[in-house]
Order: sequence, then structure tokens, then C-alpha cells
Amino acid sequence: MTGHEFTIQHKGEMIMENKIWSKGMTLLTLGAMLALTACGSGGDSKDSGSGGAVKLKIMWQGPDTRHQAMLKTQEVYTSLNPTITFSPEYMAWDDYWKKLPTLAASHSMPDVLHMDGAYIQEYATRGTLEDLSDMDLSGVIDDKTLENLKIDGKLYGIPISRNAQGIAFNTEGLTSAGIELPKKDWTWDEFFDFARNARTKLPDGVYPISDSDTWDFYQYYQTSNGKGPIIQENGTKFNLDKELFTKFYGIYAEFREKKIVPPADMVSSFKENDPQADPMASGKVMTRGATVGSVGALEQLMPGKVDVVNIPVGPEGGGWAQPTIFLSVSTDSKHKDEAKAFIKWFVTDRQAGTTYGMNFGIPIYDDVYKALEPTLQPKDKLGNKLYDTAKDKALPFYPAAAGWTEWVDNYKKTMDAVMFGQKSIEDAYNEISKAGNAIAEKQSKK
Amino acid sequence: MIKSLNRSPVTRHLLLIVFSLLMLYPVIWWIGASLKTTAEMSSPSIWPSKPIWENYTKGWQFSPEFTFGRFFGNTLMMEFWNVLGGVLTSAIVAYGFARLNFKFRGVFFSILLLTMMLPGQVTIVPQYILYNKLHLMDSYIPLILPHFFGGGAFFIFLLVQFIRGIPRELDEAAKIDGASVYSIFYRIVLPLIKPSLVTVAIFTFLWSWDDFFAQVLYLNSVSKFTVSLALRMYVDQFEIQWGRLLAMSLLSVVPSTILFFIAQKHFVEGIATTGLKG
Amino acid sequence: MNAEAVVNKRTDAKLRLTKKKLKGSNDNLAGYIFISPWLIGFLLLTVWPIIQSFYLSFTEYSLLEAPTWTGMDNYKNIFTNDTDFTTSLKVTFIFVLFSVPLKLFFSLMVAIMLNKNVKGMNLYRTAIYFPSLIGGSIAVSALWRNMFNLNGYFNHVLAWFGIEGVGWITNPHTSLGTLILLNTWQFGSTMVIFLAGLKQIPNELYESASVDGATGIRKFFHITLPMLSPVMFFNLVLGIIGSFQMFTSAFIITQGGPINSTYMYALFLYDKAFKHYQMGYASALAWILLVIVALMTVINFMVSRYWVFYETDGGKHK
Repeated sequence: MTGHEFTIQHKGEMIMENKIWSKGMTLLTLGAMLALTACGSGGDSKDSGSGGAVKLKIMWQGPDTRHQAMLKTQEVYTSLNPTITFSPEYMAWDDYWKKLPTLAASHSMPDVLHMDGAYIQEYATRGTLEDLSDMDLSGVIDDKTLENLKIDGKLYGIPISRNAQGIAFNTEGLTSAGIELPKKDWTWDEFFDFARNARTKLPDGVYPISDSDTWDFYQYYQTSNGKGPIIQENGTKFNLDKELFTKFYGIYAEFREKKIVPPADMVSSFKENDPQADPMASGKVMTRGATVGSVGALEQLMPGKVDVVNIPVGPEGGGWAQPTIFLSVSTDSKHKDEAKAFIKWFVTDRQAGTTYGMNFGIPIYDDVYKALEPTLQPKDKLGNKLYDTAKDKALPFYPAAAGWTEWVDNYKKTMDAVMFGQKSIEDAYNEISKAGNAIAEKQSKK
Repeated sequence: MIKSLNRSPVTRHLLLIVFSLLMLYPVIWWIGASLKTTAEMSSPSIWPSKPIWENYTKGWQFSPEFTFGRFFGNTLMMEFWNVLGGVLTSAIVAYGFARLNFKFRGVFFSILLLTMMLPGQVTIVPQYILYNKLHLMDSYIPLILPHFFGGGAFFIFLLVQFIRGIPRELDEAAKIDGASVYSIFYRIVLPLIKPSLVTVAIFTFLWSWDDFFAQVLYLNSVSKFTVSLALRMYVDQFEIQWGRLLAMSLLSVVPSTILFFIAQKHFVEGIATTGLKG
Repeated sequence: MNAEAVVNKRTDAKLRLTKKKLKGSNDNLAGYIFISPWLIGFLLLTVWPIIQSFYLSFTEYSLLEAPTWTGMDNYKNIFTNDTDFTTSLKVTFIFVLFSVPLKLFFSLMVAIMLNKNVKGMNLYRTAIYFPSLIGGSIAVSALWRNMFNLNGYFNHVLAWFGIEGVGWITNPHTSLGTLILLNTWQFGSTMVIFLAGLKQIPNELYESASVDGATGIRKFFHITLPMLSPVMFFNLVLGIIGSFQMFTSAFIITQGGPINSTYMYALFLYDKAFKHYQMGYASALAWILLVIVALMTVINFMVSRYWVFYETDGGKHK
């Protein structure tokens, strides 16, 4: 290391003073202090309990149009009730469900919060949501709807819009290939025959239906054939009908062979509502499952080409038509009465309804919907048509109970393995049942 | 590739240009896609049939209340403190670990490394509860503060490695002249590790720009949103506003690119020259 | 005459200093002052969450309700009754095994290529660093799909040669490989650290080697590699730690699929914690990962004695 010699001498001549060090330290401390004061202005969420004035923390998810409508609705409420103001927090779907568990863990959930059918079981059964059964909603929401929504006999969220499950199809693609369009209340056999028939008429590389690997689509088959939902009694009972399961996936195995459904690596690349990867919008598949909430997005990807039909029915009916978007009150809330009053107004008041409009879907209150009807856009109309088609034969919505999310994920993974030819249907049945029974047993011990 | 270095300047440039273009393919795709309508996104062509400049103008005008200008401002403010904190403190801590012989040094250095190995997903909730108890919600403090405590194990370890690469004779000569460890740090080590400090600055900037999970948790009001949080607002459950999302996320990498472009001449300057200039 | 005296005095002092060092000189106070920024932060902000997560690993904790103590149950379940654990561990090991050396090799080669005074080098460097700038942006997932889907660009290129491609990220046989490729493509930060390391090598070393008639390859193996070894070691250790915790690209591009073929350990852990409301279980997984990664790091540090060269040890290599 000869090269360093003269560097050493050079450095060695420097005058070393402690002063310099202390100067650095002061600078550092100063910086840290500045940083603290610069951002210390945060945290305006202090509750002002005095003088009857209340600031409600409210949180929801959605796209920007919904955010703007929601903010405006809160403004209206404050103008009617000057003592109530809001501290709003809103974000998109993913972030919302990422953040909420952390808020629950730190007991800082907002007073009023957006809930969804896919999540409410988890939150309700774990004591994070208030029971709202005593809210008087007569004349606004019928008792049967409310009864269907109860979890363990209690109502944990007030529904604000209607939803339903159905199947969307590409009218242009099917018509031009000379295929008869699906009709309302078609049966499962008609659904499968539609697929077989369409295969003979569609060009290569275009498929009538997609493959099936999620639990809910099979469950429609099982429930419509009268064998009941898979997860029962709040997750303490597991019921997967072997005969139906084998028959259903046997048909899909046949379809895979005959290229009635797309190849497995194409199916796993599908991503609904993504312009490049949506099974229908990409032009690869002629049909796919859709809800009132999601069909509007599909319509925007392929304007004027989408129509809807209900889920195939069996002797018991088929599909579901019921609310999946709720407003709930957190058990952490210190202003439960004010929160409830706001929710009641939100659902039952015409002025509220016309302010937020169709931004949460089809409003649950008929009066509100009637007032909005003249302003509906094509995507709203399509959603409404889906709801109307589905409701006659609809069965209740059977969600996964609390503690079952992992089973739901594993169901899909197992059926994907079947789809890729790595597993037999029987093995899949055994694995899924074993896991399901284990969770049911665990849940009933609680 | 080593051999190619000895080739003529022309071949060298050609090689670099081809390689750069290969790496820049995403930018070309990205610019094209950011000018498309959502419906056109599914078409395989890179360039749109008719560029939609609205993706940029409407995307920038995020909501009636806030434009992306606000979010860029917020993020740059946060980044300023992050970078300052990281650069100021990481060198100090690293010097301690690399050069000073104190009791339990090995133990503490092991702990430092261990903190990197525990996945953050399991400490983020307890950490959130801690900050919540300190009433530091909806503020940048939980995002900035950690940078003032050594800037993170990664940077400390990085600088420790660089400091250990500096000949010890430099310190010792200074010691003989009666210099204290503080002045050795300030007068000798600090100037020599300047290039690596620039690296620390760049990485701090880039990584805190991307670190959305912490931002999702700690920032509540839209008025305080960072760029990456605002971008995520375009990704709804059923509908992603691809045009605006791609347009604004392309803009969001502009500051990092500029910073990298400017800063690189400092970190590649290297000890070889700085050491001699003194 | 005076100069000689000074030199002598210095040598004396140096000797005394070395002796003192041998006896174990210590700078306790100064040491703690220097590391205090980290130490204070650690005690204030980090230590409590770490202890918490350790405690939670012995509980059942949904986040939504208070944790309940379950003793060793989580650990027992992980080791005896969890195929996702074994799958994700396997996937992660394969990822680390391929991605770390590939990235190290590639980024070192590029760093050497960019470590030249060529006109416009600033632009080249920025261009080459760009993929790493975009990090985990949502745009990356769209881009990657666009390139490696069934009808993506990559398959179009293959078609020119008459090869029929597959859905690279959606086929369980190729998805992990594609993810490793993506990770290698984002080699920028490793490369920058190499670049900084290369610049720290004194030019005189190369000059004197040239005088001795050493060739380029010889210089690389006898000067560049040994001088770069501390930085190489850093990149190796951090590459391993980081790859074991690889999350973002698996999360945004494949979500672990198809059929768990890219189910990285950190993604599995995240799912448990935030999707399936099993933070206790996730914490146990995290501590198991900590032990694995710590073991790898210890081995790394032990082996490093044989190949990492520090100036501090005195310049024995040449």
C-alpha cells in the first residue's frame, strides 16, 4: 500500500479540534428538533366533547367520485346538524383493508366505517362492531333482507345498496358467431350445453366460458341443487357434497379436454376488470361472473357489448341478490349515538340519497332510487338489470364465516392444481374436506 | 465483459447504447401506455393511435381540492428530512462500530444486524400501537423519526464496510498528532466516505418514496398524502384508472431519476481522487 | 536533522499505540457516544415491537381481538402440520440460491463496465439504473405482464424463431424463474454499491501493477476483487437477507401463484398476518425466518475470514 504514504502525511497535518465535532453535534440536534416541530402539527383528531359539538371519525373506500359524493353528503349533514362535524378518511379498496386490522389492533377504529360482505363476518364476530339491531328501518329496508344479513342474530352493518351475482356475456361476440344468448333462469344443464354448443361455433382461441377454480362458483351449484351452503352455523359445520363436487369438476375436466375452457396458464393470467387481462374485455372468453358493483366497470371496458343473466338455477333457485355494502359503528367509538343517527339519516333520507347518488350502487331505499332513476347511466342500468334478473330465484348470500379466509385461498390453489393436471378431483376433494373439517372443529371449540 | 473494456471507444459506445436501450424498454412502453385510453390498453401496439394527453392533465388535477403538486410537495418535504437524518446519523454510528473498541461492540453490532432479519410485517402493528399511544397519528413523524436514529441497519452496515476499507494508518497518524476520535471522524473519515454517503442519500430517497405500507398506516388526511399514496387511490376494487395511474407514476419517478443523474458524479468520484485532493 | 527526529518520534508513538492496542485499548465512552443515535432509537422505537412480536408468536392473535396465550402451538403446527410452510420455504430457498449469485455477478460486471470515463457515461448509468428506480410501482406489474404473458412481447420474439411460448408468469413451471429474472433485472442498488466500492480502490495500485506488467484479467483478480471484497461481502450478506424477505414482486405480480409456485416466505407470512387474521402465527413464522437468516449470516461472517480483505488488517495482499 505504498500509495497511501503521502496521504497519511497530508491528513496528519490537519489541526484537530473538538470544537468541530461539537459543531456537528449541535447541527444534528438542531436538525432533529426542527424535524419534530415541522411535523408536530399533525393529529387534529382530538374529540371535542364539550358544548355538544361532536367530531365523527368516518372512513370508507372507493374511487374518487365516491369520495367526492361522500364528502358532500357529510357537508349536507353538518349543515342540518351544526353540532356534528366530520373527520373523514378515505382510500382505495386494497389500502382500506390493509389499514383496518391495524386500527382495530390499536383500538382506534373510526366511529363510522364502511363494511363489505366479504369482511363483515371477521369484524363482527370478533367484537369490533356495534350491534345495530335496534335501529328502526321499517318502510325503508324490508325485514327479510335485514334478517338475512344478521350474524348470530345481530345486525352489525346497515346496508346502503343492493347487490346481486350474475353472469355477464359478450352480446356482440356471441351473436356474430350465431350463438343463442343465455336466457334468464337458465339451468345448470342449459349452462353446460350452452358452453358445448358455443364451442362448435366460436373461432379457435376464443372460449365460451372460463375454467372454475373458486369455491363460490361451485357453491352456487351445490346450493341450487338443494345441498345447502358449504360453511354452515357460523363456521362450525362443514358440508361439501362429494357427489356434486365430483360431478361438477368432472364436467370441467371434460371441458378442459375439449378446449371448451381456456388452457390453465391462460386462466391463471386472467384478472377481472384489467383491460389487458380481463377474460371478457381481452376478447378471450364470452362470459364471466359479475356483480352489480363490478359489471359497470366491465361495461366501461367494452361499451355496449355487455349483457347479463342470472347464475344458472337448480331446483332450489340460484345465485344471490342482497346488499353487500354496509355502514357500521365501531365498538371503539365514543360517539355511538351520533354515529347511529348519521347512518340512519344516510340510508333513509332522500336528500342524502340524492347527494351520494349511485356511488355506492343501487340505493337500498326505493324512494331514493326512484328519485335517481332519470339520471342513470348505461353502466348503472346494466347493474340494475342484473339485480332485477337475479332477485326472483335468488338464494341467500352464503359468505365464508370468520376464520375461513385461508380455506378459501387453499380451495383455489387446490383446484388450480387440478386445472394444471397436477392433482385428481378425488385428491382435491379429500384435501379440501380435511382442511374444512379441521377449521370447523377448531371454530366449534371456541 | 471485462474484455470489452479494452475495445475501441466506438464498440464500447455501441455496447453501452444497446444495453441502455434494452434497460430503457420499460420507459418506452410506459410513455406509450400512459397516453392510451383504458380500452386501448389491451392492444399490443406500444404507441396509442391517438395520444390522450388528458391522462396527464386530469391525472395531475387529482381531486377538486388537491393536485399532484401538493403530493409532490409533501413527499419532497418528507424526503428532505429522511435524507438529512439518514446522512447525518448513519456515518456517526458506522464510525463507532467500525473503528472504536468499546465494550459489547460485538453484541450491539449483532443486534443491529438481527433487526434487519426480522420481517417488518410482524413489528409494524406493535410499532403502530406505540406511535398511536404517543398521539403521533396522521403526521410524518413516524415516517421520518427512524431516519434520525442511524438511518437503519442497512446503511450503518454499508458505511461500516466502507470505513473498514479506509487504511487505518490514516487514523493512527492523526492519533499520534494528538487528535481525538471525534476529530479523526470529522476530519479524516467523513470526507473519505463522502461517496458512500451520497449512496446513502440516494437509497434513502428512493426507498422511502416506495415505502407505501408505513405511509398507508400513518397518514390519514388526503392533504398530507405522499405521491405513492395518491397513486394508489387510482386503483379501485373494480376499476383501475390505468391512463392516469401510469401517467402520474411516470411523473413520480422523475425526481428520483433527476436526483440519481445529478448525484452519481459525487458517488463515482471515489476515494482515489478525493483522498488525494484532501 | 530535525525531520529525522520527527520520524523517529512518530515511529515510537506508533509502536506504543500498537502495543496499547494489543492490550485491548478501548474507547468506551466515545464508542457509546458514536453509536448513541442508533442505540437510543433502538431502545425507544425498535426494541418494544420486537419483544412484542416474540411474545405474540406464542399466542393466537387475530389483530381484531386481544391475543390469547397458546404456548408452543404455533411452532408445533408450523413444523408438523403446515404444507404451506414447507412449500414457501422451498420456493424461497430456490429463489435465494439463484437470485443472489445471479444478481451479484451481473451487477459486478455492469459496475465494471460503467466504471470508465467515457463521454456520456452519466446518461448510460442513469438508463441502466432505471429499472431499479421504478421499484415496486404498480406499473411494473402491468409491464411485466405485458412482456411475459401468453401473448406478450417475449413470446412474439420467440415466435420469430418458431418457438411456441408459455404464459411465463402464469405457468407453475416457469413463474419462479421469471420472478428471479425480474429481480436480477433490478440490480441497480447492488451495482451502485459496487461502483462506489470500485471508486474507492486507489488508482496507484493499478498503476504500479501495470509497471510490473500485469494484464487486465490479472489486475481484476489480484487488485479489484480483493479490494472490493468488503463491498462484495456486504452485497452478499444483504442480498441473502433481502432475498429471504423478498415480497414486493411476488405480491404485485404473481400473488404467490399459480398453485404456490411463487409463494415466497414473506408473502406467506403477510397473508397469515393481514389476510387470514393470524398475527400470532405470522410472528412465529417471522422468528423462524430470523433464525434461518441469522444462521446464514453467521456462516457468511465465518467464511468471510478466508476471502474478505480489510485495509484495517494491514496490506498483505497485493
